[in-house]
Amino acid sequence: MKHVSGNIEVAGEAEVRVPTRRALAKQQTRAKVLSAARRLFSESGYEGATIRDIAAEAGMSTGAVFANFADKSDLFREIMVADMESLVEAMRDGVSRGRGVDDTLLKLFMAGYAFYKSRLPLARAAFSISWQPDQGAELRDLQPVQMIQDLFTEQLTLGVERGELSQEAEAKLRSQMLFDCYLSNFNEAIFGGWSLEALQAKAKDQIRVILAGARRG
Amino acid sequence: MSARKSQKEATRQRVLDAARELFESDGYEATTVREIAKRALVSVGSVFTTFSSKGDILSQVMADRLDALYAELDRVVPHLRGSTPDRLRSIFAIHYAFETRRTRLFLAHIAAAYNWTLSPTSRPYGRTPRLKQVIRDCIAEGVTRGDVGPNINLDLVVDALLASYAWTYRLAAWEDADAETMSAVMDRHIGLLADGFRPAPA
Repeated sequence: MKHVSGNIEVAGEAEVRVPTRRALAKQQTRAKVLSAARRLFSESGYEGATIRDIAAEAGMSTGAVFANFADKSDLFREIMVADMESLVEAMRDGVSRGRGVDDTLLKLFMAGYAFYKSRLPLARAAFSISWQPDQGAELRDLQPVQMIQDLFTEQLTLGVERGELSQEAEAKLRSQMLFDCYLSNFNEAIFGGWSLEALQAKAKDQIRVILAGARRG
Repeated sequence: MSARKSQKEATRQRVLDAARELFESDGYEATTVREIAKRALVSVGSVFTTFSSKGDILSQVMADRLDALYAELDRVVPHLRGSTPDRLRSIFAIHYAFETRRTRLFLAHIAAAYNWTLSPTSRPYGRTPRLKQVIRDCIAEGVTRGDVGPNINLDLVVDALLASYAWTYRLAAWEDADAETMSAVMDRHIGLLADGFRPAPA
């Protein structure tokens, strides 16, 4: 009997996986709204883009936008999640090519700056929102945002395990300082127009200074 | 100063005073430029000839507020005793205590610093030249006194401290942290950096 019920379940799942035409249309609408929103947030910032503008850009009514997204912050969050997921991938790729703790950390920094190089207006909007007490807390709780911070901590923990850093390195706290520098350098990119090379030179120095105390016995 | 220029300056000051009062009583979000203009007894149009947006006004209000903070620091810093890390801890604790008198306004100001509507002259968040100078002087004195190694890269250490200081405020935005909590985090960050800049044992 087990055998039979198993088959029924499999058949049921297969049915769910084939999207109905309506579900497909809904998916396409969402994708269209998201790419229109991404364009406008990049051009006019978060405050400057209204739902009405986004609907017009996507070629649909505001009603159609609201049928798919609760509000503007909902839209922005979706875009952020998608970006952060890609960024986590890029960072993991960097980590896999890193040699030693300094180099691996530098690859983490640079994966972030390279990713946002062509999306600085979006980064700027994300910073603006993340500082607002209500909306910021929502962004903080996003899983990929947590994963990025964890990647920094993991590299320090590995550095301790490999004996590159002392047992008293305080991986969690020290990685927080590195993350603060990582974020703070976005100001140079956004407001100072710094090149990736300039950012890399600065990040390299920051990593050295912050790890210095973890190298002494 | 020409009459026209001084009149413009007077308008600017009236707008800033009105905005500060309204931001403090009603909050940044709830205050409109129209209300600011009404309280300052000027037209909405003349507000916009001096400031590019509400965020721009806030940015200037917050910068002006800092005069009081640095007056306080000028009094306190000469009396600081103890190790260089401890002196740094005191300086940052004074900053956290000062900015958390108006936490929501301070956070609104940070958010606005990334806003599109800001005029090009406004400063990005985290760039506080006066704080930078105070921290720099404090560490340089440490080199003279001998509790900071002579090979320290001053610019880099100052920069890392300022990054930590600025971004630790996210605990206020995200977890409602008070000045004491943020100072405690900063105290530990300073300790970690100091492990790297203490003079090497002879």
